[in-house]
Amino acid sequence: MWGCTLSSRRALAFCSLLATLAACEIEEVAIPQTKGPVALHAVLSATAPTQVLLLERTRTGAVDIVAPPFELQDPFGGGEGIAEAYASVTLTTPNGTTLVAREDLSPGGAGTGVYRFSLPGQSLERNARYQLSVTTTKGERLTAETTVPGGAAADVAEAREFNRATDSLLVEWPTAPGARSYLVRIESPFGPRVFFTRGASVRLSGELRNPDVSTLPHVFFPGFPQAITVSAVDSNFYDWFRTHNDEVSGTGLINRVQGGLGVFGSLVRLKFQNLAVVAPQPEREAGVFLRVSGPDEALPAPYSKLELYIESRAARSDQADAVSGRYSRIMRLGDVGCPVCGLLGSVKNGHVELMLLKDWFASDTTEILSGDFRGDTIVGRYRGRAGIARFLRQR
Amino acid sequence: MTFVRLTLFGVVLALAPSLAKAQGPAAGAIAGRVVAAADSGAITPVPAAVASVLGSAFESITDTDGRFVLSGLVAGPQTVRVRIPGYRTVERQVVVAAGDTVSIEIRLEPDAQRLAPVLTVARSPDAEIFATRPNVSTITLGAAAMAGVPSAGEPDVIRVAQLLPGVVARNDYNTGLNVHGGEADQNLILLDGYPLYNPFHLGGLFSTFMDATVGGIELMMGAFPARYGGRLSSVLDVQSAEETRPGVHVSADISALGTTGRAAGAFDRGRGSWSIAGRRTYADALASVFTSNIFPYHFRDLHAHASYTLPGNTRLTVTAYEGKDVLDANLAEFASDSGSKAGSGEWAFDWGNRLLGASIARDLGPDVRLPLVGLRLGERTTVEQRVSLSSFSTLLDLGDGAFSQRSRISDVTLSGSVVARGTSHDRSIGYELATQRVRYASGSTQTGTTDYDLRQRPASAALWIDDLWRVSPKWIVQGGLRGEALRARRWMALSPRLSVKYFLKPDLALTAATARVTQSQHSLAGDGPLRYFEVWIASDSIIPVATAWHWIAGAEKRLGNTGTVRAEGFYKRYERVLDVNKSEDPQLHGDEFLPIRGSSYGVDVLARLQPVTGPGGWLAYTYGVSARWDDSTRWSPGHDRRHNLNVVTTWRFTKYRLGARLGYATGTPYNAIVGEIARRTYDPSTDNWGTGNPNRNVESLSGARNGARFPASKRLDVNASREFRIRGARVAPYVSVLNTFNSKNVFVYLYRYSRNPPTRRAYSQFPILPSVGVHVEF
Repeated sequence: MWGCTLSSRRALAFCSLLATLAACEIEEVAIPQTKGPVALHAVLSATAPTQVLLLERTRTGAVDIVAPPFELQDPFGGGEGIAEAYASVTLTTPNGTTLVAREDLSPGGAGTGVYRFSLPGQSLERNARYQLSVTTTKGERLTAETTVPGGAAADVAEAREFNRATDSLLVEWPTAPGARSYLVRIESPFGPRVFFTRGASVRLSGELRNPDVSTLPHVFFPGFPQAITVSAVDSNFYDWFRTHNDEVSGTGLINRVQGGLGVFGSLVRLKFQNLAVVAPQPEREAGVFLRVSGPDEALPAPYSKLELYIESRAARSDQADAVSGRYSRIMRLGDVGCPVCGLLGSVKNGHVELMLLKDWFASDTTEILSGDFRGDTIVGRYRGRAGIARFLRQR
Repeated sequence: MTFVRLTLFGVVLALAPSLAKAQGPAAGAIAGRVVAAADSGAITPVPAAVASVLGSAFESITDTDGRFVLSGLVAGPQTVRVRIPGYRTVERQVVVAAGDTVSIEIRLEPDAQRLAPVLTVARSPDAEIFATRPNVSTITLGAAAMAGVPSAGEPDVIRVAQLLPGVVARNDYNTGLNVHGGEADQNLILLDGYPLYNPFHLGGLFSTFMDATVGGIELMMGAFPARYGGRLSSVLDVQSAEETRPGVHVSADISALGTTGRAAGAFDRGRGSWSIAGRRTYADALASVFTSNIFPYHFRDLHAHASYTLPGNTRLTVTAYEGKDVLDANLAEFASDSGSKAGSGEWAFDWGNRLLGASIARDLGPDVRLPLVGLRLGERTTVEQRVSLSSFSTLLDLGDGAFSQRSRISDVTLSGSVVARGTSHDRSIGYELATQRVRYASGSTQTGTTDYDLRQRPASAALWIDDLWRVSPKWIVQGGLRGEALRARRWMALSPRLSVKYFLKPDLALTAATARVTQSQHSLAGDGPLRYFEVWIASDSIIPVATAWHWIAGAEKRLGNTGTVRAEGFYKRYERVLDVNKSEDPQLHGDEFLPIRGSSYGVDVLARLQPVTGPGGWLAYTYGVSARWDDSTRWSPGHDRRHNLNVVTTWRFTKYRLGARLGYATGTPYNAIVGEIARRTYDPSTDNWGTGNPNRNVESLSGARNGARFPASKRLDVNASREFRIRGARVAPYVSVLNTFNSKNVFVYLYRYSRNPPTRRAYSQFPILPSVGVHVEF
């Protein structure tokens, strides 16, 4: 899903769609389970406080896999994967020291298959070889090695405002000895824009679109904070993430893990920027809106402020404009999550639908506000709570 | 320097005979063309007709383009007679002028009742070819033979070629040709002899050739003559139809898919003819009438052809073609049931061919001698010069330059030949100079990054000689040698060609042939079940030239004048063939292909009956085995099919025409999926594995390469048409039904290993697919 390879696949998928217009599913039959190898996901990062690797079983039909909301601390939890627990995982450093990884096992089972080396990124020796060894409880042995690229690590993000309508951003970085390629990643609500480049700079316009997402949305969304990172990567990381197995042939991946499948790569984050993306707000529907209480507001909602932008105008008169922005939340004791989070929505003929996101990702909505513009006021209802909500334009 | 010398040598050789027109007695000549109307209404040449001058010994047989020359005639009125079984004999009065060539065109009318009187003196085109050429693994089909084959919409030349022996069609969605176990990029596709780099539309579902423009095809499936080169497997030469009727004649084919229109005519008393045809699909326009949903795809073709015979029997021809597939979509305009599509981006996905070719051919008459040495070349010598510009390009642009990928090959070819026909030898010598501009690039204008940008300018030269030697009534030998050079690789090679025919009886012959062939242009389209379009790159200092040897042996038996039975065994050995590297690094050049070796062998059987009226058709069966290997692995290519049977029948009556095709084919290999892996991503901004944005992707894991096979497929297609005459117009509505019994032929399998139990879903090739249309001709 990274860079140009993904886009080619997406084009291919689009063509496949044409073929499957006429192709019908004619049968679905159960087939025998297979015996799959262990999959390893490991990267040594020069900026990580600890080095983390994931160990899981490839999917062979042995269990039902579901896709629950992602939990960072428990990536295999809730049936999302088949964690490989209790494995013996060691890392041999360039000077011959052997480190043993500890599994993030908690009493509730969270953290199974997540292994961690107490090795801060700044301790990684550059242009030097690290060797990884994994032995599972079934006796399977996986080995791999990586050479960490050089280059000065960017530990702290630079913050700046980015006006999507007027600005373009030149991102430059110093070349890193030993780097196979540079990974550019821009966080975005519909998924990051990710690509590799051999150069030492990219210029990003505000109108940049994301070919890694099927609808080709913009990358920059007014109202959102968006991180940009540039990392020097080794050849293992580059080859694993630039290649893919397509659904029909199941081939294409470059695997350098002996005895299993996966990646043991390394990277050095060279550039780290946090953009506060903004845009002009000349439209009637755009601006900053504050909550106003009323007698019909049965249960006060925790949402106190909306900052709305017209993200894109509709292409057809019978469709709605797209809205992006952020909302503020009144944090109460015990609340977790973001006090300021993203929102996405639409507006058409004065009617507005706003999806209040759990964080900054379009995939996870926590509440929906449907309302209408009445003068400078949005009057609407939440889907998840009773009563009327009013937000008054401030500017 | 080698290249320059070869170039000069070729030009001099090709031009020399034209400088040496011999002096002879004052006499005149008749240059003629014999044509007939096919069922489709297209005017097609009639090869192998006997043209003679009454009261003299002058006689000539028309060539594949229906042309003949009678030279050395006494000036004054003469009567030309043209005879061929199945047509009424035509006699035409002509006044021959001293020192000039009179051009005539003779249009034949079908007349099966007249078969008997001429049966002993003239042969059908197939019979003529059988008697005069080794013709190993070569099949010709006229427009009439192709017209009755059932199809989705109008008949499709390449779909018809897929029904011939030795040819494997990968599946219903793919018009790629796999000939004698070769890959789909190993076929030289020619339009009037000019190369066409991507003969597909709609991801291989339709070919670029419009039925109304096709006069006939010739498919050479191996050991082809020395004049052809550059591909490892086959040559498919599609000939444009030529109109012989004066005035303007218009025809149209209207189907649910699209409409083809053609206008054509002859002028200057038959010295010249022209035609122009266009086709466009209109599913996009229809969809916009009935729904707000947008169908963002169409393809179009434009084909023009003209010829003119100058005084002195010099013939000029020009062929032009442009075709384009357009898949442009503004995703923000798509209808949506909920939410907003605003903010979605645009696709631009276009690809197409362009071709412009011209030739000038001159018949130098009966007594041409080489300058200086005075060597007589033959009884009839023709010199021809050809030039063509052919290009194919693709462009994918996502999100206004967020990602763009383009490929383009532009070919300029200059070629020439001298053909000297004699009593026992037909000797040819020719050259071919070609240069291409190749570009294959990917990047983003929005980020100013380039993933790769491969630019090549290969130049090649070829010099060939060929001799068709009628050794005796029992033996025909055709030998040739093709010398080739590729500048970018400093590569030169000699490729011998040899075909032999031995007549056990006048109607029974044994044949054998061998040839070495090379290929220096390769497609990155790969070995998948769908072939969207070709992406051509050339051999250079890193990418090698692919080579192969063909060996073919067989027997052919003529059944009367219109039938034939032929069986041939073939063996093809690839010394080097290029396998697309699916894991190639876009930041490196040279790893696009992996050199491998391979072989194919098998048997073709063809039984064919081609009467002018009544039932006709063919039965084609191929048994084939193909293998590819590298140093560590051996596998069957994706088109390897053991048994392939096609029975094609047509019945032509006065007003009705019926057609049917029955196909049976054993399965082709595929990669069985044995599991899945979640592709987890590392986020450098948080130094964590995954953030949930996006959710992880799951990808398939393959077992042994092509280690499984699809089940056998079978299909029955039928069609019927009836002809009406309405106010002078010929109107022929038709109905076709593909896969009449709705056989569940498997196209691909998709697997799910993220559930217990795991499952395999089968997706079909064509389901039952009816179509209707009408052919109208004025």
